Amino acid sequence: MTSDRQFGQPGRWAVLAALVLLAAVMLVPFAIVTLNAFKSPAEYSSGGPLSLPHGLYLDGIVAFWQRVDFGLKLWNSLLISGVVAVAAVLLSVLNAYALGIGRVRGRLWLLVLFLVANTLPQEALVYPLYYLAKQAGLYDSRLAVILIFTVIQGAFGTYLLSSVLGRFPRGILEAAELDGASRWRILWGIVVPISRPTLMVLLIFFFIWTWNEFFLPMVFLISNDNQTVPVALGVLQGEKMMDATMSSASALLGIVPAVAFFLIFQRTLTRGITVGAIK
Amino acid sequence: MVRLGRSAAVAALAAAVLALGACGGNDGKSDAGGAAGGGSAEAKTLTLWHYETGNSAMGTAWAEAMKEFEASHPGVKVKFEEKGFEQIQKTAGMVLNSDEAPDIMEYNKGNATAGLLSKQGLLTDLTEEATKRGWDKLLSPSLQTTAKYDERGIMGSGKWFGVPNYGEYVMVYYNKDMFDKAGVKVPTTFDEFTAALDTFTKKGTTPIAMAGAEYPAQQLFYLLALNKANRAWIDSFELYKGKVDFHGPEFRYAAQTFSDWVKKGYIAKNSAGMKAEDMGVAFIGGKFPIMVSGSWWFGRMQEEIKDFKWGSFLWPGQFAPGSSGNIWVVPEKSKNKDLAYDFIDITMKKEVQNLLGNSGGIPVAADPAAITDAQNKELIENFNKLSTQDGLAFYPDWPAPGYYDVLVSGVQELINGDKKPEEVLDEIAQPYNDNLADIGN
Repeated sequence: MTSDRQFGQPGRWAVLAALVLLAAVMLVPFAIVTLNAFKSPAEYSSGGPLSLPHGLYLDGIVAFWQRVDFGLKLWNSLLISGVVAVAAVLLSVLNAYALGIGRVRGRLWLLVLFLVANTLPQEALVYPLYYLAKQAGLYDSRLAVILIFTVIQGAFGTYLLSSVLGRFPRGILEAAELDGASRWRILWGIVVPISRPTLMVLLIFFFIWTWNEFFLPMVFLISNDNQTVPVALGVLQGEKMMDATMSSASALLGIVPAVAFFLIFQRTLTRGITVGAIK
Repeated sequence: MVRLGRSAAVAALAAAVLALGACGGNDGKSDAGGAAGGGSAEAKTLTLWHYETGNSAMGTAWAEAMKEFEASHPGVKVKFEEKGFEQIQKTAGMVLNSDEAPDIMEYNKGNATAGLLSKQGLLTDLTEEATKRGWDKLLSPSLQTTAKYDERGIMGSGKWFGVPNYGEYVMVYYNKDMFDKAGVKVPTTFDEFTAALDTFTKKGTTPIAMAGAEYPAQQLFYLLALNKANRAWIDSFELYKGKVDFHGPEFRYAAQTFSDWVKKGYIAKNSAGMKAEDMGVAFIGGKFPIMVSGSWWFGRMQEEIKDFKWGSFLWPGQFAPGSSGNIWVVPEKSKNKDLAYDFIDITMKKEVQNLLGNSGGIPVAADPAAITDAQNKELIENFNKLSTQDGLAFYPDWPAPGYYDVLVSGVQELINGDKKPEEVLDEIAQPYNDNLADIGN
């Protein structure tokens, strides 16, 4: 990591330039959204989406916040995504302990089953889930969405964690067994602490994935009091009309929490990925 | 590094546990609240859903209607929830089949929406109320088309399942400044209209703002067909009351003329990929003198056009796409049907209807003298004129499920010049006839 190695190779500059360019391309949509969020509708209509706003027009954001009671939607999203992330990681750990370390019979087929469950489109699940939720009296409740996504995310987590734990160093486990540790103790005392970086990454992914879910929450969260942020954004898309500036304002409000969450946990995230690489 | 990681993880875990705890507590509370609300809701709350923006004509008028309802029904509260169009579109069937159904809601008119739900028994038959409360007298026959559905769920006859509050129609918006500059007068006949298009083209301006990727192109295509059509043809096409020949004079003329207009430069070739929003923004930005589209743009034009004078006139011809707006429906599982009927009755009252008209909408039962704004007056008078000359011709995508996309791609090919008009007609005839076979006609 000496400075001449960093700057000496022209190849590195090319890679850097390519990355900067890629980052710029990725950021353009966000820039356009931000630009339009601060424009008045009249400015948007006369100047088009790419013109620069004349001043800071905050009415769109304020009006949207009040119109959909955004604070409540944020809380709902936070609650659902938070609980799902924790519960799904927990479920994945328990499943993967049995499948990856416990080596239960037919684990390969179980994993294939989980993988297939993962690839099912949500549209195919809607009607069965709808009838189940109605029977259980959970239709139009946040608990229904929490349960559904805990299972959906848990299926992916189980698949991923099982293959990670399948390569868990056997020596450590055997040593613990010799010391008389129970299976329960091995899980919580050894397996979980050692694979914590991976679990943290899963937790963050589950949170962000659940946060962004639109279709199932739209179907299951009927009352406005229960709705999540992405469903609330849908209010703005009319039958024939769209309000481009307010949509931008709402999109900005919708993105910010997820980005903030990512920034807070991004160190954990990168560490989780590199830990695997070093080993 | 490691220590930091541990404390971060502990913090995250603590936060998660907190969230879990909060979830339990909150769920308990909201359940209790819901139960209590449900208990008293039987007598005291009217749950109402609609998906119009608060500051639109309908949003304004209906807010007033809710106020009047609460004033005339002491002790009853209106619980209004604004919904997204897509959510209602995709989930209405499921919601209305559950105990979470609202007492009254706005819903889309048409066979595939209100018709389908009525066939499934999810909507309340309103026939008796309509005659008792005189809604059938307030609404003209062509507006009633979208309120009634037969046992197959096809509109036009049968029982009342919905009540429309407002109308809509396709018209010609024009940029007065550009018309004056080019020395063009507002055309009253179709020949004058094409002459005006010609004048603009000769001066190097593309006259018609168009959007090939969405509804505007097929509505212009339909308008051209309507210029050769009569009511019997419209009833055949829209309500399956007879056979439609796609190679008959109506559609053949429409396809040929549309294709000619592209060749002559009345419609830009690059408009094939445009969306309705692009078209509207281009017109509002003063880039085109003419836009042929629906009254749903009206409020936005009033609000956003600042740099030039504009107006609207009826399409030169007897017919134009148009119908009632969306309808109020009462779910079969509504717990307060009588209150829902009362609410619909209030929305049909003169005061609410006049407010709708003064806010830029098209009321169906207003007092014309009470409309103060000149532009709104013109809009409503044109609608009434169209309605009286039996000119509301519905929309071209209504007859079959998924027909919207068929027409979009068909007309796009006319704009691109990919296919000959005759071939396009074959292409749009096939799904139409398949649907006829499906419903047993």
